[in-house]
Amino acid sequence: MTLLEVENLRTYYTEDDGGLVRAADDVSFSIEPGETLGLVGESGSGKTTIAKSIIRLLADNAEIVDGSITHRGTEITDLSKKALNREIRWSEISMIPQNAMNAFDPVYTVGEQIVEVITVHERGTSTAEAMERARQLFEDLGIDPDRVDDYPHQFSGGMAQRAMIALALALNPSLILADEPTTALDVVIQDRILETIKRMQEEYDSAMILITHDMSVVAETCDRIAVVYGGRIVEIGDAETIIDDPRHPYTLGLRNAFPDITADDQALISIPGTPPDLVDPGEGCRFAPRCPFADEECWEVTPHPVEYEPGHLVECHRADEKAFLQAEAEKRETWLGQEVGDPTADRAPVEEVDD
Amino acid sequence: MGLRAYVLRRIGQLLLTYFVFLTILFVLFRMMPGDPTSVFILEGLPAEAREERIEELGFNDPLYIQYFDYMRQLMTGEFGDSIIYREPVVNIIWDKVANTLFLMGSSLILAYTIGILGGALMGWYRGTRFEKIGIVGVLTARSSPEFWIGIILLSVFVFWLGWFPAAGMRTVGLDSGEGIWRFLNRDFLWHLFLPMLTGAIFFTATPALLMRNTMLDVLDEDYIEVKEAEGLPERRILYRHAARNSILPVVTVLAIVTGAAMGGSVIIETVFNWDGMGRAIVDAVNRRDLPLAMAAFFIMGSLVIFMNFVADIAYVYLDPRVEYE
Ligand SMILES: Nc1ncnc2c1ncn2[C@@H]1O[C@H](COP(=O)(O)OP(=O)(O)O)[C@@H](O)[C@H]1O
Ligand SMILES: [Mg+2]
Repeated sequence: MTLLEVENLRTYYTEDDGGLVRAADDVSFSIEPGETLGLVGESGSGKTTIAKSIIRLLADNAEIVDGSITHRGTEITDLSKKALNREIRWSEISMIPQNAMNAFDPVYTVGEQIVEVITVHERGTSTAEAMERARQLFEDLGIDPDRVDDYPHQFSGGMAQRAMIALALALNPSLILADEPTTALDVVIQDRILETIKRMQEEYDSAMILITHDMSVVAETCDRIAVVYGGRIVEIGDAETIIDDPRHPYTLGLRNAFPDITADDQALISIPGTPPDLVDPGEGCRFAPRCPFADEECWEVTPHPVEYEPGHLVECHRADEKAFLQAEAEKRETWLGQEVGDPTADRAPVEEVDD
Repeated sequence: MGLRAYVLRRIGQLLLTYFVFLTILFVLFRMMPGDPTSVFILEGLPAEAREERIEELGFNDPLYIQYFDYMRQLMTGEFGDSIIYREPVVNIIWDKVANTLFLMGSSLILAYTIGILGGALMGWYRGTRFEKIGIVGVLTARSSPEFWIGIILLSVFVFWLGWFPAAGMRTVGLDSGEGIWRFLNRDFLWHLFLPMLTGAIFFTATPALLMRNTMLDVLDEDYIEVKEAEGLPERRILYRHAARNSILPVVTVLAIVTGAAMGGSVIIETVFNWDGMGRAIVDAVNRRDLPLAMAAFFIMGSLVIFMNFVADIAYVYLDPRVEYE
C-alpha cells in the first residue's frame, strides 16, 4: 500500500501587500514504504513548502488551498490539530531540519528532549525506559550514550545533527522529512551524516523525503527523484533515469551545475537567469525565460506532465526530443544565452546566478 | 568544578562590591554639610556630657580610625540613636524593614506571577484581540502614577464597597501576637491587601512587556517548530519551552527591581499610611536624622547587592549556556 500520496497540492502564501505566492502549485507524487524520494531544486522553488504542507507546519500566512495529502489513507489536510498531533506528527512523520544546532531547546538536555517526545506519545512508557531508548539510539548513531545528559550547546554541528536523527527516529516513524539535513554542516562531514541518515533509515525501515538543492546528494541517496521548479514538479522518476537519462532542460541544467555526478570531469556550468516570481506566474512554462530550448509554445501554453517511461513524468513541451536536448545541454555555449530555437530570445534575462 | 569556582568567584565579587558600597556610604555621610557631631548626638545635652559623647562616638579620632569603627559598627548593627525617635535606630528600623518586605515582597510576587503568565500568553497569542487588550491594559497601568492607582482602589474597595480598611497596618487595640505572627495574621493581611494590589498593578507592566517581547523572538526559533512537529500539546510547548526560554531576561530585571523596591515606595506608604522604609528614609533625610538615614541606606544597599548576587546564581541554574569561566 502506498505510504504517502500527494495529489494536486496547492499551497499559497499571502504577502502583506495581498500578493499570492504560489509556492506549491499542483504538486503530485507518492511514496512507497521504505522508499527515499529526493526533492531537488534551487532555493525558493517550493521544496520546504511541500514538506511543511505534509506535516502541517506552514507559516500563519500560508494556506493549503487545494489538493490532498493522504498517509496510509488518512487525509492529513482534514485532520484536527489534536488528531494530527496524536496520529501523524512524529509517530508517523518526523523531520530532520537544516540546522540541528538550533533545533533543540537550549535549556534541556538532548536526552530529556528525546524522553519528552517518547513519553508524550506513549502513555505507558516510563521516563527511565525512554531514557534507555535514547541511549540506545545514541549508540546506534555512533554517539557516546552518556552524552544524552549533555545540553545542545555542548554538541558540535555534526554531533547535533546525529542527535537530531536520533530524535527523528525515536518513535520509529514511517516517514522522515529531511530538509537540507547536511547543508549547514562542514563539507567534510556532510557525506558521513548522509551515510548515517541512509543507514538508519534502512535499519528502521522508514521512508524518507530528502530535500536538497544539491544534485549530487540525491544521486547518492535516493530511489526516486523529483525535480522542483517554480512550485511545480517538472520531472520525476527513478534516480538512474533522472541522473543518467533526464528529459527536462532544467534537470539537464542542474546536472551540469554539479558535474561531479557525471562520469566525465566537466567544468561547472550554471543555469543563467533567476528563479521565477511565484506571484501570478501567468501562462506558459515557468522555466521558459531561462530555457535555451524554449519555443513559442513554451511561452504561451503551460505544459502538463507526460509519462514517457513507466513512473517517469516530465512537464516539458519538447521532452520528446530527448537525444537533441541531452546533446545540446552538454555544451557550454548552450547555457551562455544563445538560445537554441527560441523565437523570443530577446525577452529572456541573461544573468549569472549562483545558488 | 566549574560551578563551584563560579559561585566562589561571585562571592568574592560580592564582597568587593559591598566594600566599595560601604566606603562610599561613609564618605557621603562624613561629607554632609554641617558639623557631623551635631547630627549624631541628641540635642539638649549639657556641654560636658556632649564632649564625652563626641569622644565616645570617636569624632576626635583620625579619619581612618573612624572608618574602621564605622565598618565595625555597621557589621554589628550598631546604627546609633535616631534623632526623630530619640532611641537607638536598631529598635525601630527592623520593624520598618519587615513592613516594607511584606508590602513590596507580596506586590512583586503578585506582579511577576501575573506579568510573566500574561506576557507569555500575549506573545503566544500575538496579533489577536487578547494581545491588543493586554498591551493597552499593561501600558495604562504602567503610565498611571502609584497614588492614582491607590486612590482608585481606595474609592472602590473602601469608600464604595467597604471591604478593606482605609489605612494603617493593624486594627488599633487588636492583639496580633508575637514575632512572625504579628505579620502572618488575618488582620495584617487584610490591611496589606490594597497597598499590595497598588504596587502589583504598578509593577506588572515591566515583566509583562518584557516577557511578551522575548516570547516573540523565542517563538521564531527553530526548536519551537521542531516541538510542534513532534506533536507535543500546545500548552506544553507554550509553558515548558517557549515561556521557559523567555523567562531568562525577566529574572535579571526582577533582581534589580526587587533591590530597588526594598527601599519601599514613599507614595504607596503615604497613601495607605504604611510604616515602611520609603517614608522612614524621606523623614530621616528631611529632618537630618543621619543615623536613621544611614542605617536605611545601608540595609537597602545590602539588599540590592544581595539580590543581584542571587540573580546571578539563579541564572546559572536557569540557563545551561551560561559560561562559568
Ligand atoms: N512565509 C512566507 N511568506 C511568503 N512567501 C513565502 C513564505 N515562505 C516561503 N515563501 C516563498 O515561497 C517560495 C518557496 O519557498 P520555499 O518552500 O522555502 O522554497 P525552498 O525550500 O525550495 O527554498 C519562495 O518564493 C519563498 O519566497
Ligand atoms: Mg527550503
